Amino acid sequence: MQHIGGDTVNETELGTHEWWETYKETVNSDPELEVRGHDKFNENFYVQMGDERVLLEMADGKIDTVVPNPTLNHRWTFGVEGDREAWEEFVQETPPPFNHEIIASHYRTAVRNEDGHLQLTGDNKKIFQNLRAFQRTLELMRVAHNNGGA
Amino acid sequence: MSSAHQPGEVEPITGKYVYADIGGVTHRVYVEENGPENGTPLLCQHTAGNNCQEWRHVLTDEEITDEFRVIAYDLPYHGKSVPPTTQEWWTEDYTMTARKFADSVVAIADALDLEDPIYMGCSMGGNLALELGDWYPDRFQALIGLECSAYSPGFYIDWLDHPHVNTTEVNAYSCWGLMAPQGPESALRETMYLYEQGATGVFKGDLYYYSVDHDYRDKLDQVNADECPLFIVNGEYDYLTTPEDGRTAAEGIGEGATAVEMKGIGHFPMSENPELFNAYIKEVLAAVTGEREEDLPDELTPEDVGIEYHPPGPTREKPAE
Repeated sequence: MQHIGGDTVNETELGTHEWWETYKETVNSDPELEVRGHDKFNENFYVQMGDERVLLEMADGKIDTVVPNPTLNHRWTFGVEGDREAWEEFVQETPPPFNHEIIASHYRTAVRNEDGHLQLTGDNKKIFQNLRAFQRTLELMRVAHNNGGA
Repeated sequence: MSSAHQPGEVEPITGKYVYADIGGVTHRVYVEENGPENGTPLLCQHTAGNNCQEWRHVLTDEEITDEFRVIAYDLPYHGKSVPPTTQEWWTEDYTMTARKFADSVVAIADALDLEDPIYMGCSMGGNLALELGDWYPDRFQALIGLECSAYSPGFYIDWLDHPHVNTTEVNAYSCWGLMAPQGPESALRETMYLYEQGATGVFKGDLYYYSVDHDYRDKLDQVNADECPLFIVNGEYDYLTTPEDGRTAAEGIGEGATAVEMKGIGHFPMSENPELFNAYIKEVLAAVTGEREEDLPDELTPEDVGIEYHPPGPTREKPAE
């Protein structure tokens, strides 16, 4: 563990292979994703940080496979895109206003036309059909990034 | 605020039903209150699709209820205010408008025979402070608009009332990020739990008022804050109606309008972080009553009111050792 800019951060850099592996473990051991129907979350989605895209293939509320640089051979239902800086804010232990949650961040992009936030893409109906499970899965990026506060 | 209540302890909140005439229809309205009968009435309006339980920590704050008669109600179709028995309400979609909303609040204040109440509403209730200042400045002593703006577009979303969506959970968690991460997890989750109690279509119907019908961008000069002082109090993490939106509205209204930013809190301040909100709102109430002589600051911080931040999310989620 080290302290950078006042925040406790995981030594693993955001978006590396090792980071995604830690994240996968965090998601796959999360109690909230096992209850309230969140184990029905079966939609693949991608996370794009700057130019780097990673596909998360979901099965029953768990990450089955992390696929870097998905191709025409892969399928997904929706995704989230943003600058690396926006994602770095998103995963901070105490994230700044508006990049602290996906709907908040998307709203500032889509409705208020601001830069520096995240944007949802893809099938909006599927996003809302899986809203809490998807939102929780993204939120666990913050938990993984900060070692669950350990 | 203590969470350690003893068995047998009874909260001093009382509940009752009052009948109110709203647009020629008699409604049975649920009301909770606490505080001295002759105290200044502080009439509290809940957020879209929610109910008066959001105010439970204001209703039980002794420092507030020593002076104020705190009154929180459920709008018709919300909480325990069941739909009117004289109407075939199931044959139409529930839709809230600015006129219906303002008239409902005044009808409830009239039904309770309140003299010079202070109005305090949040979110759609915060926006309504502008209509009340426009149409009913004589009816209130002062208006407090929490999470208030001239315009709050983009939240009248079809998925919030769609049969292919679990709207019970979605109506709640579409609002999850409206709260600041600094709030205690139990309070954040309780706010979501309250959202999960709304009837079908009511949240979305309220949002018609919130994101479509309410638009004061070109008519802020009609808000009579010089007659009825208006306090616009918005949370730092509120992405729908930001503190900056609040300042813009107050500047546009001019004399009598004051904007204050609450740091480290979001769009549901009274329920997402009750301890911090109660400390903040006491500063505002002191300005309303004149007890506070100096101007309110542009920003209120936890340090200003002697509150320590709760651990942020990931720390809280550290497994117990």
